[in-house]
Amino acid sequence: MEPIMSYATQDVWTWWIAVYLFLGGLGAATLTVTFLTDMYLKQHKCLVMWGAVSGVVMLGAGSAMLFMHLLHHAAVIHILNPLVLFYKPDAWIAWGTQFIIWMMWWGVLYALPYIVESPFYQRLPLVRHLIRWPFVLKIAALCERYHKAIGWLATINGIGTAVYTGLLLQSFPAVALWHNPGVPLLFTVSAFSTAMAYLLLVLHVIVNRPEDHDVRVFYERLDLMLIAGELVILFSFYHYMQSGSEALYRSAELLWTDMGWLVGFIGFGLLVPFALELHGVLKGWSSRLPIVTASVLVLVGGYLLRHYFLYAGVYARPW
Amino acid sequence: MTRYAMVIDLNTCVGCNACMAACAMENQTPVWKNKWRTYVHDKEIGTAEDLHRRFFPRLCNHCSNPPCLTVCPTGATYQLDNGIVLVDDERCMGCRACAMACPYDARYEVTYADVKTATEFYGEPKRRHPSMDKCSFCAHRVEKGLKPACVETCVGSARMFGDLHDPDDPVAKLVASGIAQPLLPHLGTKPNVYYIGDLKRRG
Amino acid sequence: MAWSFPRLSRRAFLKTTAVGTAGLSLLRPTALLGTGQSPAEPELEEYSYSICNFCSSLCNIRVTTRGKGANKRIIKLDGNPNSTLNRGKICSRGQSGLRQTYDTDRIKTPLIRVEGSKRGEHAFRAATWEEAWEYIAKKSAAAQIQPWEWTMVGGWTSCIFYMNWAVPFAMANGIPNIIASPMQHCVATGHLGTDAVTGNFNIHDEVLPDYDNARYILLVLNNASIGAVSTCRMVRFATAKKNGARVVALDSRLSETASKADEWINIRPGTDLDFLLAMMGVMLAEGLYDEQFLRQHTNMPFLAYRDEAGQWRLATDAQGRPRVVEEGSSKVRTVPAFANHNLKDINGASFYPALFAPAGLQIDGREVVTVMQAQMEEIKHCTPEWAERTTGVPAATIRRIAREFGTNRPAIVDPGWHGARYGNIMMLRRVQAMIQGLTGGIDRKGGWIMSGEFHHKAAHMFQAMAEGREPGPPFAAVAGMPFAKVVISALSDGANFAHGKPGWAWAYSQQQREAGRDWVMLPVLADVGLKESVEGKLKYKGEPYLTRAFIINAANPVRHYYPDTRWKEVLSHPNVELVIAIDVLPSDTAAYADVILPNSTYLERDEPLIYGNGVNHDLALTTRYAAIEPLYDTEEVTDILLRLSEIIGGSADPFLQWVEKLTGLPAAPIKERYLQLRSQKFRSPFAAACREIHFDLIARRLNTTVEEVDRVLRTKGLYPEESRDHILEHMAMPRVLPLPTGSGRLEFYSSLFDELRKGGATGPNFHVLATHIPAQCRADADMGAPLADDEFYFTYGKTPTVSYASTNSNNPVLAAINQFKGGVYTGVWIHPDRAQRLGIRTGDAISLTNTHTGQHTTGHAYVTRLIHRDALFIHSSFGAENAALSRSHGMGTATSKLVPYRVEPVVGGFRSQEFTIRVAKIG
Repeated sequence: MEPIMSYATQDVWTWWIAVYLFLGGLGAATLTVTFLTDMYLKQHKCLVMWGAVSGVVMLGAGSAMLFMHLLHHAAVIHILNPLVLFYKPDAWIAWGTQFIIWMMWWGVLYALPYIVESPFYQRLPLVRHLIRWPFVLKIAALCERYHKAIGWLATINGIGTAVYTGLLLQSFPAVALWHNPGVPLLFTVSAFSTAMAYLLLVLHVIVNRPEDHDVRVFYERLDLMLIAGELVILFSFYHYMQSGSEALYRSAELLWTDMGWLVGFIGFGLLVPFALELHGVLKGWSSRLPIVTASVLVLVGGYLLRHYFLYAGVYARPW
Repeated sequence: MTRYAMVIDLNTCVGCNACMAACAMENQTPVWKNKWRTYVHDKEIGTAEDLHRRFFPRLCNHCSNPPCLTVCPTGATYQLDNGIVLVDDERCMGCRACAMACPYDARYEVTYADVKTATEFYGEPKRRHPSMDKCSFCAHRVEKGLKPACVETCVGSARMFGDLHDPDDPVAKLVASGIAQPLLPHLGTKPNVYYIGDLKRRG
Repeated sequence: MAWSFPRLSRRAFLKTTAVGTAGLSLLRPTALLGTGQSPAEPELEEYSYSICNFCSSLCNIRVTTRGKGANKRIIKLDGNPNSTLNRGKICSRGQSGLRQTYDTDRIKTPLIRVEGSKRGEHAFRAATWEEAWEYIAKKSAAAQIQPWEWTMVGGWTSCIFYMNWAVPFAMANGIPNIIASPMQHCVATGHLGTDAVTGNFNIHDEVLPDYDNARYILLVLNNASIGAVSTCRMVRFATAKKNGARVVALDSRLSETASKADEWINIRPGTDLDFLLAMMGVMLAEGLYDEQFLRQHTNMPFLAYRDEAGQWRLATDAQGRPRVVEEGSSKVRTVPAFANHNLKDINGASFYPALFAPAGLQIDGREVVTVMQAQMEEIKHCTPEWAERTTGVPAATIRRIAREFGTNRPAIVDPGWHGARYGNIMMLRRVQAMIQGLTGGIDRKGGWIMSGEFHHKAAHMFQAMAEGREPGPPFAAVAGMPFAKVVISALSDGANFAHGKPGWAWAYSQQQREAGRDWVMLPVLADVGLKESVEGKLKYKGEPYLTRAFIINAANPVRHYYPDTRWKEVLSHPNVELVIAIDVLPSDTAAYADVILPNSTYLERDEPLIYGNGVNHDLALTTRYAAIEPLYDTEEVTDILLRLSEIIGGSADPFLQWVEKLTGLPAAPIKERYLQLRSQKFRSPFAAACREIHFDLIARRLNTTVEEVDRVLRTKGLYPEESRDHILEHMAMPRVLPLPTGSGRLEFYSSLFDELRKGGATGPNFHVLATHIPAQCRADADMGAPLADDEFYFTYGKTPTVSYASTNSNNPVLAAINQFKGGVYTGVWIHPDRAQRLGIRTGDAISLTNTHTGQHTTGHAYVTRLIHRDALFIHSSFGAENAALSRSHGMGTATSKLVPYRVEPVVGGFRSQEFTIRVAKIG
């Protein structure tokens, strides 16, 4: 047989999966980072509550995006059942769904002891009733007792979720751009970088306490390293994509000639925030505006990365 | 053990589309939205002076190492001992990961609306739930000792169906001879649909 | 630079020819393999057997149903696995056939045109059968429609399945006018050419070549019967391919069939005859023929001379017996006028006939040569170099093909399907048959083999002739050219009718001839003169010969006659008082009816007869068993014609008598049984009565019981009688039996055209030998002259999914396939070199104008290298206009909007490609 090759991108998984992957990675990494911060850097109830709640909301919103696009909604029950890990341990969506579900539980449970004593939540309609239930209070106490264990469970699930978003794409062998170990790495780094950016936003805009300066600086430094790492991975991708397979080369042609990717993602999503944060780390900024800007850009870049990655995946068709 | 495979001889596929119609009727595919479990491309190959028109039938390759099965989170995609890869529409939630994983573009969507239309169109629908559908190698026919509907009706006998594990099977012989080649074997999917090429050196 | 955000809903297609790669596959727990079984299906399925209804191949089919009683539903059609005709396979039309029965657009009750609406508006109201009959009775009585003022129009299914009823109906009711759609398009034009050589004129006169055993196959201007698709031919063609036969296709496009050829010869449209004449010339000149066959079984050795007018004539004796010269001498022998060989003279003395007469041989003072020599002389100028100019094919290629064909045996030149297209098509098909004859490949393994049914009919007919008795009812017992004569004389001879009038087609030919205008010699079942008759421009014996009423059965002349406007005008003409249409789906023609009578589909019907097995080489019987009860208030054509006989003629008895006379079905028992069944409220009682009586007749012939015939047909779909090999052993024509030609031999010198010439026909179309007839696509230029930049030769062909312009384009499955195929099916094919100059790209709206007539339509361009640079191609499957065909109306371009009314002089065949088209981009 003499295959006559053609090359095509896909329109099966589009922006809604990009949103799912973005929010999944961001939400999971946000939870992980806030809990690790709380456990090992500095106890920060407010940050934990913000991180936990927004992380859970992000994960929920991302999952809703996937759920809404299902063809047969009732069958989702099969992946909500934890036993799925026993009969479909090879499917990343099974792992991902379980990671996300448990991540959400651990996220809520870790924050629960803080929430029950938070004046804000004690005033919040509905929630204020909920957190007065003895049952909830008992659980909160239990969580207090096993706080670190829960924190670590959340951390494991969080990292798992972030890695999962990349492994999912890696599991599609037909697309050379996706089917390589660089993808989970890239998506994990990006997930944590966006989480840093998100938390910097929280710490600059919402919980802007002077005593958190050290946390902010620490996050800036971490984000700087993550962005640097991401740039290194992307640089490797660039070279990897120049040859090896025609489909990969076609992906390269799509990605590395696209202004959205080059200017939008690499430029404004990575290089500009990198420069802004580097300046902040080395010289400091007198205003919070540059770091807020950098954070917003990193978040937008995080979405663009996933969007373009889905878009640029090229299938080799032997017909 | 049995390992079912299809060999398609491009030299005698005349692009008549009987396979498409046979499959659509046998498997109740959503013809109303122009979706098929199997279909035939019509390709122009070569230069104007040495032009070739190739009819290229396509279907699920029933890989021995099916990536669509691996990525399927609900277990809706499963494989029989004889190698046939099937979809359980009741279990399938329609996440489309299989479509993303499949190098052979074999999957298509069946929506709630399609299930409803199918009931009106076919009378007694074979599938009652939306799913990511695909070719089943007519497992229900093969079970009864019949050939898949497309093979049965192929007017050019371009489609042949047999057991790779039976050394006397003509299909197994064609595959063993190397004249029939699978698509994208380097992906490691170990596909079980093979093609006999139709481009010869001329002149 | 613009910041372009990519849309993910778009697929980016990128072209290259390299191969992609990717990495490792994932690990997967092996324990998960092999779980589960495929879901079991309850066994509620039943089989019944029938015959496909979507082309004249008449494939045997098996119908799978589910459920019981009113809930019984057809779920699948397949080729009948017991059939040696289509070998268990059927094409896409056959597979999709059940969806015609379940088509929501079907005509479900009788329909009567709404008062005040015009024909063509498709404004109908539902009616009961009694209302419909009453309407017809009132209309025909009020308008005093005379028998000869009726015209019947039949589609090809009427021809094959209903000839047995339609012709007796016409004869019984004094209706000398039948138009049958396959004639001018196909049977009369194409097949008559072939049949002039082989004598094989029959209901199924299309020859099924034995591709299975051929080593070399030459396809000429034919996609329809291989790739587009006649299953019985395609299954054999595929076997030939698998056996390694070499295939060469002459076609001005890379059709489905041509795509399977080892060599595609991209010939200029309309010039196939030029190619084949050059090829035949080479074969004759270089001795590339089966010499023994030509000597023994053809009229090649007959002696002929040129008369004073330069016409070739046979040098017969006073009794009209041909004469032959003995090989190696000048001794002239007289041979029997009708025989299968030339090896014995009239005195029974054996001799060896010569293919070449010695120079200067004279008989009765005239210099004579053999037919072989005459033929060589006639086409001497048709050299490969001569043909190169018009065909665009290099002379060396033509010569090479001639040599390959002449030296590889068994070789087949495919006889072709579909005539029409050019005035020279009949000659083209004749020359193809001659070339086949040159190889000796007639009724021989790897050659053209005639059907088992035809062999049997002919054998019995010859036996009857030998015994000096009538062979029997013509539709059942007459084969070949004698059958053609029956068909011709039935309607052309006014003496057959009480009113003394022949069909208007014959009256019109006479009128034209007398006026010294172009006329058609044999307007057999043709539309020639219809328009004139409707418009009151036709006179017979000084009296106006009007056409005022139509019965149109399963025909769609608005789409498959030319041009559509002609038929729309005819059917809308104020002189026309009544138009009755019998159909399954609301065709474009049905829209012009006053009454539409709904017909059951082929799957809802017990056929009223047992039939032969079509073109199958094996002899077998088959029929249809209804798979389900009719879904709607429909009726069978047999019963409709019976009722119409009562309304038009006042009684059904003459109809029954004519049925007996023509088909052999006895009138008395049929009537008795019919009345019984009718009183029992049996659905379609006449069809049922005919079936019962025919089963009885067949059982008697087979020396068995009705129950046994029924059992075999019911469980197998076929009743096998005799195998091909056995038939060929004792009935091969002309090696064992004569061919049913004028002379019993394979005729290079045509006795048919000799007779027509005697009847006063002149011109190359009536030549007794193969001769050149140029295609006249342009008035002022021949086929070798260049075209204008925007000018193209018009060509059309069939998609594998639609039977010409039939309503099966509306079948939901076939419509979906057509949609899937897109431009390649529904577009106008145009070569990129030409398209580029006109600024046309695929998908562009283009206007198409006939340069002769100004007829105009539009289409969408499909720019492809698959088409000859000089040609434009469209599929004839599309262009339906009736909005009641919800899936197909408005799709594609209709051929009948471009093809003018222009016919050839022998049978009124449509010169449907003999013009050029001007193309322009719209907007």
